[in-house]
Amino acid sequence: MSKIICSAAIRGAHKIVGMAEEKYEEALKKWGTDQEIGFPNTTYYLPIIYGMLGIPVETLGDVRQILDKCKELVPPPVSDKVWLPYLAPALEAGMATYFAEEIIEAILYLEQPDFYTKAEDPLPDNIWLGAADDVIMRKRGVEFVDGTAPGFAAILGAAPSVEIAAKIAIELQEKNLYVFMCGDHEGKTMSEQLIEAEVQIGWPTRLVSFGPSYRAAVFAIGFATRVAMSFGGIKPGDFKGNLYYNKDRVFAFAMPLGTVTDKWYANAAGAINWGFPTIADTPIPEILPTGICTYEHVVSNIPHDKIVQKAIEVRGLKVSVTKVDITMSYGPAFEGERIRKDDLYFECGGGRTLGVELTVSKDMSEVEDGKVEMIGPDLDQVKEGDKLPFAMLIEVAGRKMQSDFEPILERQIHHLVNYVQGIMHIGQRNIMWIRVGKAAVEKGFLLQHLGTVMHAKYHQDFGGIVDKVQVKIYTEEEKVKEILAQAKRVYKERDERVEGMTDETEETYYSCTLCQSFAPSHVCIITPERVGMCGAYNWLDCKASFEINPTGPNQPITKGECTEPLLGRWKGITDFVNKASRQKVEQVSAYSLMDFPMTACGCFECVATILPMCNGIMVVNRDSRGMTPCGMKFTTLAGMVGGGNQTPGFLGVSKHYICSSKFLLAEGGLKRVVWLPKMLKEEIAERMKPICEKMGITNFADMIADDTVGTTEEEILPFLEEKGHPALTMDPLM
Amino acid sequence: MTFEIPKVSYTGKIREIPLGREGKTVIVGGESCYPFHLFEGEMPNPPKIAMEVYDSEPEDWPETAIEPFADVIKEPAAWARKCVDTYGAEMIALQLAGTDPNDKDLSADEAAKITKEVSDAVDVPMIVLGCSNVEKDTDVLKAVCEVCDGRNLIIGPVAEGNYRAIGATAIGYKHTVVASTPIDINLAKQLNILLGNLNVPDEKIIIDPSTGALGYGLEYCYSVMERIRMAALIQEDERLQFPIISNLAREVWKTKEVKVPESEAPLLGDIKKRGILIEALTAQCVLFAGADILVMRHPEAISLVKESIKDLMTGK
Repeated sequence: MSKIICSAAIRGAHKIVGMAEEKYEEALKKWGTDQEIGFPNTTYYLPIIYGMLGIPVETLGDVRQILDKCKELVPPPVSDKVWLPYLAPALEAGMATYFAEEIIEAILYLEQPDFYTKAEDPLPDNIWLGAADDVIMRKRGVEFVDGTAPGFAAILGAAPSVEIAAKIAIELQEKNLYVFMCGDHEGKTMSEQLIEAEVQIGWPTRLVSFGPSYRAAVFAIGFATRVAMSFGGIKPGDFKGNLYYNKDRVFAFAMPLGTVTDKWYANAAGAINWGFPTIADTPIPEILPTGICTYEHVVSNIPHDKIVQKAIEVRGLKVSVTKVDITMSYGPAFEGERIRKDDLYFECGGGRTLGVELTVSKDMSEVEDGKVEMIGPDLDQVKEGDKLPFAMLIEVAGRKMQSDFEPILERQIHHLVNYVQGIMHIGQRNIMWIRVGKAAVEKGFLLQHLGTVMHAKYHQDFGGIVDKVQVKIYTEEEKVKEILAQAKRVYKERDERVEGMTDETEETYYSCTLCQSFAPSHVCIITPERVGMCGAYNWLDCKASFEINPTGPNQPITKGECTEPLLGRWKGITDFVNKASRQKVEQVSAYSLMDFPMTACGCFECVATILPMCNGIMVVNRDSRGMTPCGMKFTTLAGMVGGGNQTPGFLGVSKHYICSSKFLLAEGGLKRVVWLPKMLKEEIAERMKPICEKMGITNFADMIADDTVGTTEEEILPFLEEKGHPALTMDPLM
Repeated sequence: MTFEIPKVSYTGKIREIPLGREGKTVIVGGESCYPFHLFEGEMPNPPKIAMEVYDSEPEDWPETAIEPFADVIKEPAAWARKCVDTYGAEMIALQLAGTDPNDKDLSADEAAKITKEVSDAVDVPMIVLGCSNVEKDTDVLKAVCEVCDGRNLIIGPVAEGNYRAIGATAIGYKHTVVASTPIDINLAKQLNILLGNLNVPDEKIIIDPSTGALGYGLEYCYSVMERIRMAALIQEDERLQFPIISNLAREVWKTKEVKVPESEAPLLGDIKKRGILIEALTAQCVLFAGADILVMRHPEAISLVKESIKDLMTGK
């Protein structure tokens, strides 16, 4: 922590505690120890003292012990010769500052009962509201907890001009923040500036004029402390609980405007205890490492037109977008819409034109939240039946964003775009395909609206990892080609990253219990090399899902000791499955079809089962309609596999898992596969190649029978024999 | 060879939750066995029945349901008093159905005023249920919490979309919440975790996993309740060890079967008896699934179920 800041804060604390001592002595002489003191109409006494120490200050006599505590807390002034990290002493000095200020303010209430209005609104002759009573606190405080008001800005001092003051206040209001104003800069106060600018102040407009002195900052912190006690169930004296509660839930920060004095520093240091950082407009030293606050502690020299945005970033406040603001209806009900030829107005991608969609992460400074750019003609410049090349580049930034999460966000484009009424979206990446219906165009739909949709939905659904979103949509061929080239590079990197991960390299796997609503005992275990059987959730998806929704269906599991490497069994996994299936599944193998295979919900992409005569395994995908050599069609097989039951010999698998090096390891892996529907074989042909090479049979794909060879074991066996399929000579399956 | 009844061994217990204002509390929960398996464990607090009161005169009720309350149906407070004085209600469930924006759209202040009047009129524990519109309920229930500060109402439905606002307000004014989820054990558990993260105390949570009427999806709801109870009692799932409330009357009394006159459907039999029996049977089912609080309407259905609870509790 900056030595300059700490020294100043400690000096300030000395002055303020000294002042409290003086005031106390004076008051004691005048009124005696039995004189009642406190803030009006509250059951929280002097709230910071009560919240932190659990001591109810009711009379002047009670003040003594608090002052003693202050003296204990305030460290000696910093000498030039000491070069220690100063964080702890400065924080303690800050805490003592608040105790002392509460005492001074309480005595002020005694000396001048009408100094503050004690009301929600300023009066014509007195604009200073003073401490909020319990009625105000309960009414307003709950907003901090439920998110209607994410927090507050405690502004000390005044802006350089009336106009700037009004602009900052309005910008903060737009973010639904309360503005708590106190202190002056060169005799001017923010509250008075707002009145001059004819901005209405008071609790109802969330612009609260606490007091003319810097000490009124204590009302802001006291308010936060009471919120934690009232709405957080935090007990008085549980200082740790209270401070954490505020750090995690009340998005507040201090914004000193003007010269930062020692006393201001002392208050700012105090606020850090609550996790409230300081964002200053003057060039004071900064404290950038994170620690007590979620991110930086003190950030300075911020221009006035950027200060609100910066404060929000530093405090980690999330932007909430409540509505998808487009002319069309929007929602899951429209996801399944088909746009048929007769209704078609415009289309792009899908092999008709170039089409690509890409989501990438950027640095916070490179993304301007909410910016949507349209490069090239939009729908108002095309005729019915036209086609255009299309690229959508979504750039996101976030404190918790990882490049691993990019593909997850990108994959959402499909359903999020489909939610628009009158639009059909198919595919992803560079095989995406959008069709726009006539009705949508009549209602004024533009491609640009897709950017609005993605901005709003990324914030709504992925606010946990995304702080900023900007979207660029291109319909010019040259530009689209550029984005396509960029996308191909990115896709390649992503694929390599995923392929580089193995079950051995990661200690944590994830569960998926999303389907327990209809398959109560089913628990999917997702490892880097075994994608969920629905094909929709891979290991990275689960990691992101957990980040976004820590109490949701994807929970991390420490895999623990590997008990059966070939079968894919780990101690941690067994314990988890046992518990999450509510004891229904006692044991599970991640890599076996025969020996405690994984249960399935009903959403699997494919079913794997054995063909005893061929001593091999067949896999059939959901889209395949025909008969298979096991004597059952997919639909019949699906009935055998689903519902959360373990049925040795039948297994739900994803297409991706078939080409994993962990595919049914216990039974011999891909080598065992003797039959696939032709469509499935073609779909996975590319990804099968490296595995075939690894097993030393480069033409292995040709040895696998398909529905053109036969749909009974008798039909395919001669084919396998002719090709010399390796399964025929492997250990018996049963 | 002597026959021994096979017994389930339980590892968990449902939390005991005190409802209502100090000095007049009624405790629910506390089971250490499946419903009425008294040969395996204990049910220290037999299930309770809360009688419904509506914030405004209902418009679509069949005559059978209106008849017992015809004299008080326009005055919620008098209605509540009648439930307690005449029918011996153990609890009152005030349904703020009139706040629904698609119905009368009563304001939050109006709803709060009615709630306060009813709360002043009776001293049994009181459940206050909104209209299940996430935004409207937030406004209404916040106002309700405020005017009934400290009376430990049981307020709901608290759903994923508004749990923070209502949950925090409930903490502030010391009420109990009804955590409502749509027929899904994992969502039920998740909401309980979220309420816990918000610091809502465990002794202030009741869960509502949704109820359908007999013949209207009851079996699905039954399974979910049953599974919640199993998870709580034998699978150490401590975030599901909460008493269950079943808001069944409004489901029953909106079905076609309680409304069609005998003249139109002679096979369905006497319309009055029919409605009462459907309500009683729905209640009986959810009792077996594990419900601790039944929200019911018709006094005769209630007395049938009360009798049944008594029989089951005494092992008759």
